[in-house]
Amino acid sequence: MRRSSLTAMLLLLIGLLVLPASGLAADKQLIFDEAGLLSPEEVQELNALANQLGAERQTDFIIITSSNTENKDVAMITNDFYDENLPGENAAILTMDMRNRQVDLGGFYLAEEYLDNSRLDKIRNGITPALSAGNYADAFREFLKESHRYMGYEPGFNPDNILFQTWFQVAVSLALGGLVVSVMVFRSGGRVTINRQTYEDSGSSGVLAHRDTYLRTTTTKTKIPRNNGGGGGGGGGGMTRGGHSRSGSRGSF
Amino acid sequence: MPVVEYKCPNCGSGMNFDSASGMLSCPSCGRQDKIDDTSDPLLVQTFEEGEAVEYHCNSCGADIITDPETSATTCSFCGSAVVLADRLSGQLAPSKVIPFAISKQQAEQAFRKWCRGGLVTPKGFMTADRIKSITGMYVPFWLYELNNEIEVQGHGTKVRTYTRGDYRYTETQHFEVYRKIRLNYNKVPVDASEKMKDELMDRLEPFPYGQLKTFNSPYLAGYIAEKYSFDEKQLFPRVKTKIAPFINSYIQSTVRGYASMSYSRKDIDTRLTHADYALLPVWMVHYDYNNTGYTFAMNGQTGKVVGKPPISKGKVAAWFGGVAAVTLLTLKTVSWAMGGGFL
Repeated sequence: MRRSSLTAMLLLLIGLLVLPASGLAADKQLIFDEAGLLSPEEVQELNALANQLGAERQTDFIIITSSNTENKDVAMITNDFYDENLPGENAAILTMDMRNRQVDLGGFYLAEEYLDNSRLDKIRNGITPALSAGNYADAFREFLKESHRYMGYEPGFNPDNILFQTWFQVAVSLALGGLVVSVMVFRSGGRVTINRQTYEDSGSSGVLAHRDTYLRTTTTKTKIPRNNGGGGGGGGGGMTRGGHSRSGSRGSF
Repeated sequence: MPVVEYKCPNCGSGMNFDSASGMLSCPSCGRQDKIDDTSDPLLVQTFEEGEAVEYHCNSCGADIITDPETSATTCSFCGSAVVLADRLSGQLAPSKVIPFAISKQQAEQAFRKWCRGGLVTPKGFMTADRIKSITGMYVPFWLYELNNEIEVQGHGTKVRTYTRGDYRYTETQHFEVYRKIRLNYNKVPVDASEKMKDELMDRLEPFPYGQLKTFNSPYLAGYIAEKYSFDEKQLFPRVKTKIAPFINSYIQSTVRGYASMSYSRKDIDTRLTHADYALLPVWMVHYDYNNTGYTFAMNGQTGKVVGKPPISKGKVAAWFGGVAAVTLLTLKTVSWAMGGGFL
């Protein structure tokens, strides 16, 4: 009797502890649509997606849209939000400044390591066209998915490296197999083992006269293409006022 | 009599060239004669080409039946080594010879070893148990001495790139390039026998010219020898095409340092200074596999084997699949280690 009631008590206690926690995790608000860019259904859908993908990477994927009434710098909005709400957490934050039409992507801790400036640049460049066109929900979905995907690659590698593409791996394998076999078949009949020096009488051979006359110099110049998504921008990490290091990429849309 | 034989002064048996000792040796009594010391019996008498219509063996008197190109053979009745002197005299007299260094047994062993090493040849072929014949043959070659006067003119560029500000600059310097080159080649071999396939003979090279000896007919005793079908002038175009890649590669080596080079003029004047008629040793191996005859040639000095062996489709497919699979696995592992998905 005593034992069974104790077990029941324990189960109840565990249930009390676990249930609200899991409920909270599912309900964790990660989309802060202060500028009202999304419909309630879209917010719900993106929130669910952010929770699901974030759990897999132990990172909060957060989207903030702001009308920016105080006219703060977009990166400051990101930083202040982070300092206020989740200091010390792993987080990847996308902030929209609708007043100045600026977008800022930031990575903190684990996300700073995995989503470095260049990776964030890639993500931002990928979503800027959709942002410019006003397809905010699509752009945010893309941000969540790409951040999640990029965090699957070890830091320091280009996640869009062709080496990661299966078709490329198969093509290289087939090409190498074909090459090896062709060389084998070609060499099966014996190969030529003489070279230009075999019969050369090097003692009496040589260059008798040579002339290298300079004629002219031609110079061409090409503009180095910059990755300026929607025009203007660039990356940069830095520190929040709360003293947290971050990676980042910002630009207009 | 235009047929020369080598009789042992001791016992009267027919003597043969021994590849191990490099001497004329008697299989009966073991007498060995140095070839360099003996005067060539061919030189005692002079013969005119085409003098004889029929050849008779000096030992047994039988008719010696040969191809019109054959200059040395063995009597098909009594096995004596015979040299058809009129086919090795006058215009047809070789000036050099490289004797065999590999005996018939060694040649067979070397061939078997080579067959075993075949990576894409069928299993049945690798055992090499269907050798139909192994024939030691002196193949006629012309060894050319060539002088080349080369003059080339062209346009070369050197390219430098640098960035300044937002621009990438490509600076190309243009040069007028001129080279005058003398390029001499010694003893470029070209086979002069109509019967021998050129691509087979070309791959047999290089022959060790250190073994090159002044021609003496006893070297041929016991082997088959051919006379040339084409003279040095007829084969001159062939030797020119043979050295053309060497010349081009030499020219290339003199214009290093240019990023690009285009030639407006390339004058190559090849002069034939001298051509030696030489007999070079080749083991011809005839082999039957799946009712098809295959011919291989082996350098009689170095043992290098050439010739197209049968190719096993299954083995080719297996190698292809194996290499491709291992590569794919390696790439997948690398990509996985770098954080990419395995699939």
